Amino acid sequence: MARIGVFICHCGENISATVDVAKVAAAAAKIPGVVHSVDYKYMCSDPGQQMVSSAIKEKNLTGVVVAACSPRMHEPTFRRACAEAGLNPFLCEMANIREHCSWVHEKGEATTNKAIDIVRTLVAKVKKNKALLPIKVPVTKTALVLGGGIAGIQASLDIANSGHKVILVEKEPSIGGHMSQLSETFPTLDCSQCILTPRMVEVAQNPNITLYSYAELESLEGFIGNFKARIRKKARSLDEKLCTGCGLCCQKCPTKKIASDFDAGLGMRPAIYVPFPQAVPNKPVIDREHCTYYLKGKCRLCEKVCPTQAIRFDQADEIVEVEVGAVVMATGFDIKHGDFFPEYGYGNYRDVIDGLQFERMASASGPTLGEMRRPSDGKVPEIVVFIACAGSRDPAKGIEYCSKICCMYTAKHAMLYRHKVHHGKPYVFYMDIRAGGKMYEEFVRRAIEEDGVQYIRGRVSRIYERGGKLIVKGADTLLGARPMEIEADMVVLATAGVANPGAEALAQKVHISYDSHHFYSEAHPKLRPVETNTAGIFLAGACQAPKDIPESVAQASGAAAKVAALFSQDELIREPLIAVVDRQAPPLYSTCVGCFLCQTSCPYQAIEKEEIRGRDGQLIKTVAKVNPGLCQGCGTCVALCRSKSIDIQGFSHEQVYAEVLALLNRGESDV
Amino acid sequence: METLRNKARELLASKTVQMVIGYGRGSGEAAPARAVFIRAAAEAESLIFDASCQQNLAVYLMKPEVRQLGKAALVATPSALRTILQLAAENQVKDHDLLALAVDAQGEVTPLATLQTIEAHVAALDCNLSAGEKTELQKYVALDPEQRRQFWQEEFARCLKCYACRGACPLCYCSRCTVECNQPQWIPVPAHDLGNLEWNVMRAMHLAGRCVNCGDCSRACPVGIPLYLLNQRLLSEVLANFNFRSGMAAKADNAMSTFKPDDPEDFIR
Ligand SMILES: Cc1cc2nc3c(=O)[nH]c(=O)nc-3n(C[C@H](O)[C@H](O)[C@H](O)COP(=O)(O)OP(=O)(O)OC[C@H]3O[C@@H](n4cnc5c(N)ncnc54)[C@H](O)[C@@H]3O)c2cc1C
Ligand code: SF4
Ligand code: SF4
Ligand code: SF4
Repeated sequence: MARIGVFICHCGENISATVDVAKVAAAAAKIPGVVHSVDYKYMCSDPGQQMVSSAIKEKNLTGVVVAACSPRMHEPTFRRACAEAGLNPFLCEMANIREHCSWVHEKGEATTNKAIDIVRTLVAKVKKNKALLPIKVPVTKTALVLGGGIAGIQASLDIANSGHKVILVEKEPSIGGHMSQLSETFPTLDCSQCILTPRMVEVAQNPNITLYSYAELESLEGFIGNFKARIRKKARSLDEKLCTGCGLCCQKCPTKKIASDFDAGLGMRPAIYVPFPQAVPNKPVIDREHCTYYLKGKCRLCEKVCPTQAIRFDQADEIVEVEVGAVVMATGFDIKHGDFFPEYGYGNYRDVIDGLQFERMASASGPTLGEMRRPSDGKVPEIVVFIACAGSRDPAKGIEYCSKICCMYTAKHAMLYRHKVHHGKPYVFYMDIRAGGKMYEEFVRRAIEEDGVQYIRGRVSRIYERGGKLIVKGADTLLGARPMEIEADMVVLATAGVANPGAEALAQKVHISYDSHHFYSEAHPKLRPVETNTAGIFLAGACQAPKDIPESVAQASGAAAKVAALFSQDELIREPLIAVVDRQAPPLYSTCVGCFLCQTSCPYQAIEKEEIRGRDGQLIKTVAKVNPGLCQGCGTCVALCRSKSIDIQGFSHEQVYAEVLALLNRGESDV
Repeated sequence: METLRNKARELLASKTVQMVIGYGRGSGEAAPARAVFIRAAAEAESLIFDASCQQNLAVYLMKPEVRQLGKAALVATPSALRTILQLAAENQVKDHDLLALAVDAQGEVTPLATLQTIEAHVAALDCNLSAGEKTELQKYVALDPEQRRQFWQEEFARCLKCYACRGACPLCYCSRCTVECNQPQWIPVPAHDLGNLEWNVMRAMHLAGRCVNCGDCSRACPVGIPLYLLNQRLLSEVLANFNFRSGMAAKADNAMSTFKPDDPEDFIR
């Protein structure tokens, strides 16, 4: 006979304010099989847990229902308390009468009755629970970091320095990410390259880090502690071991007029190139789309000038297979480009540029060597208008969020401009200034007060060209929406920070969730900000949401700490809430008929074939088998199996059915 | 007909197969054809093939008592050929497990020894619903949901839960059907309204993306429930939404369990 204990929590007043907890406890006591039912102010507190464990011992409980908050919150707490009292932890269930009841309903009888119903279903379930044993899986102590921006660099270094191996995969020829494109950085105005490049070199030199640049993830299979990744090393068209990075080839390449991505289209590069002089690794790649040899079959000049004969025109992509225990996503972000702003003439007027283009213009290593020269005619712009929130916080443009970094970098841009063009006049159109952060508000005030940047609160409605000037039409909403017109020489749009174009496809490849803007979703917005919902995959940097360098670095170190914690054990304990395919006595052996349609449905490739053989080795039957290490307990296969041969431990058909029946079959008098 | 019999004799005499599963004359006047299991060359004259030979004989491939008799040659209509491919896709038959004797209306016999040759043969067939089937289906789809509910309520009211449809279906081969699970009891045992609805909906859904439209379930039904309407509706939905037709290939992604990024999925958006 079942002997169930029910423990009703007040959660301070979170539950007791709307639910009559004493009544719930009294009703629960009358459910058949319940031998103990109490309520208490804070069940999760020490005395609360004590109540659970003493009742288990004194009343010989065979199952426990804690009616409190969401199991996401405290299920581990109570399962541990049960285990300490000698009850198998999987004989403990939580009835969520907070999120599912007290928080979402008004105080009243109906609310209390609903709480009773929730308890009733869980009592019905727990009676069918079976003792389960945790699963142990080995851990491969190597981390895969995807993306070599500042976040990926920081995460790699932290993991490597805690003594574990790292494989860093960067899709561009060099690591560095967007930070390598920046001129100076807010809020200190220190040179971006100066603080970044030493880190990049550290990555190259750290013996624990293997860097695959110009490479992309091909596929990822497996599960926490035991992933298998295939990495595509794109053909650089060069033998990296022979190349010394002398750069002769890049100098001699006759195809020189290719818009440089690194310079945000403002500068030019040859067909064989290193994105920037401080690149890591400092080895060129041939851009096959523009190389004369690949286009016309003739040239091979680089091959002739290379002192070490490192050029390989026939090199093919290479696939490398690696085993890793954890993955850090650090693939960063992008900004809105192109014809997103027809009303601002962006992409149409050459002197309307975006923030990254401004960074390259302001950078001492950029195409203008740090001088302010507008793209159309190379003249020094005398009046520059900066427009914040270009696309951001604009539901009409489909981007309702704040890109977070633009207020700050716009202030920086206006300031840098003033430092370079002393007589210049910078204007900033803004919606409001968001400068939360250490020294951030001070930074913006400095721009306004010391550098004389004129801030105008209002939106720009239109920009058009007139006589070599850009006419910026807007309104000053602080002056009663007075219409404004500024004749500018150059306009800089702080375009919205958006997810990388390939972000969605990559998320699907590694099976993590993402939001409607394709930024990767954290497991919990407050309490688990560096984890994804897929165990073993962590987040760092702007791939999760637009963020600045200090935040990216902090998150990267957080992710690295999670990885290091995971790698601190040799084995991983996993909850046994997984699918199992039934086994029966001969001659049936299993009700599974081996159609293996379940195999095609499993998102985690957890279903294998098992051959059942007789004593003579004769094949009797081939049936499905779930790999306990791989299964995530999602239940997809269970829904698919026609013969109901698969069941999830802890959420079995019987358990769930019992819950439903408990609700359907309750008599009116039970309420 | 004689070509078919000769082929059967030859196959049995040479021990290429242990048995020919074909059609024979049923007893009684104007009796429909029935399945015969020919295990000796001398019995081959009872084989017939004419317009009354409609049953999908592939159903016997999945019966253990037939299977244990050894390798079979199967007189196969287009539906039976598609069934063989679908069974292969579901890992139930392997290449060279059987020999298909494809027959057409002219009595022409084409032996197909491998799944690949069956695939090629099936690819050349017209597997669309017939004009008559289309018209009837359109009429059914035109009913509004309430009318459709009433329509099925009346039809299913006659269901006896005899499971003849299940027995006739070559793709209902589970060794334990969901209706036989009693822990928990998913489908109520008695033939009342609710149980009948649940059983029939479940049967149809379990065949979504798998049914080859042979029509045997409806022919087997002793009370004439038009089960084919459910099957045909589902198979046209699967075709429209996933561009998938069952029984065309020996290796196929099951429409109901696989996800392709380019599935139209118009029913979700
Ligand atoms: C105009 C502008 C000015 C800014 N100024 C400042 C400033 O002054 N101060 C400040 O703190 N912040 C500033 N920022 C923000 C700063 O750029 C970001 O905080 C920082 O770059 C985020 O780093 P990250 O590593 O997360 O992403 P990223 O810098 O975007 O790096 C991501 C890396 O991942 C790589 N990658 C992408 N996809 C893949 C893939 N599928 N496989 C492998 N690799 C991949 C990319 O090539 C890239 O190298 C500015 C941003 C902009 C746009
Ligand atoms: S779906 Fe069910 S019957 Fe088919 S292989 Fe999987 S477990 Fe077995
Ligand atoms: S529950 Fe089934 S589908 Fe889900 S991961 Fe486990 S085996 Fe795969
Ligand atoms: S459901 Fe009916 S029509 Fe479809 S394969 Fe089975 S018996 Fe044939």
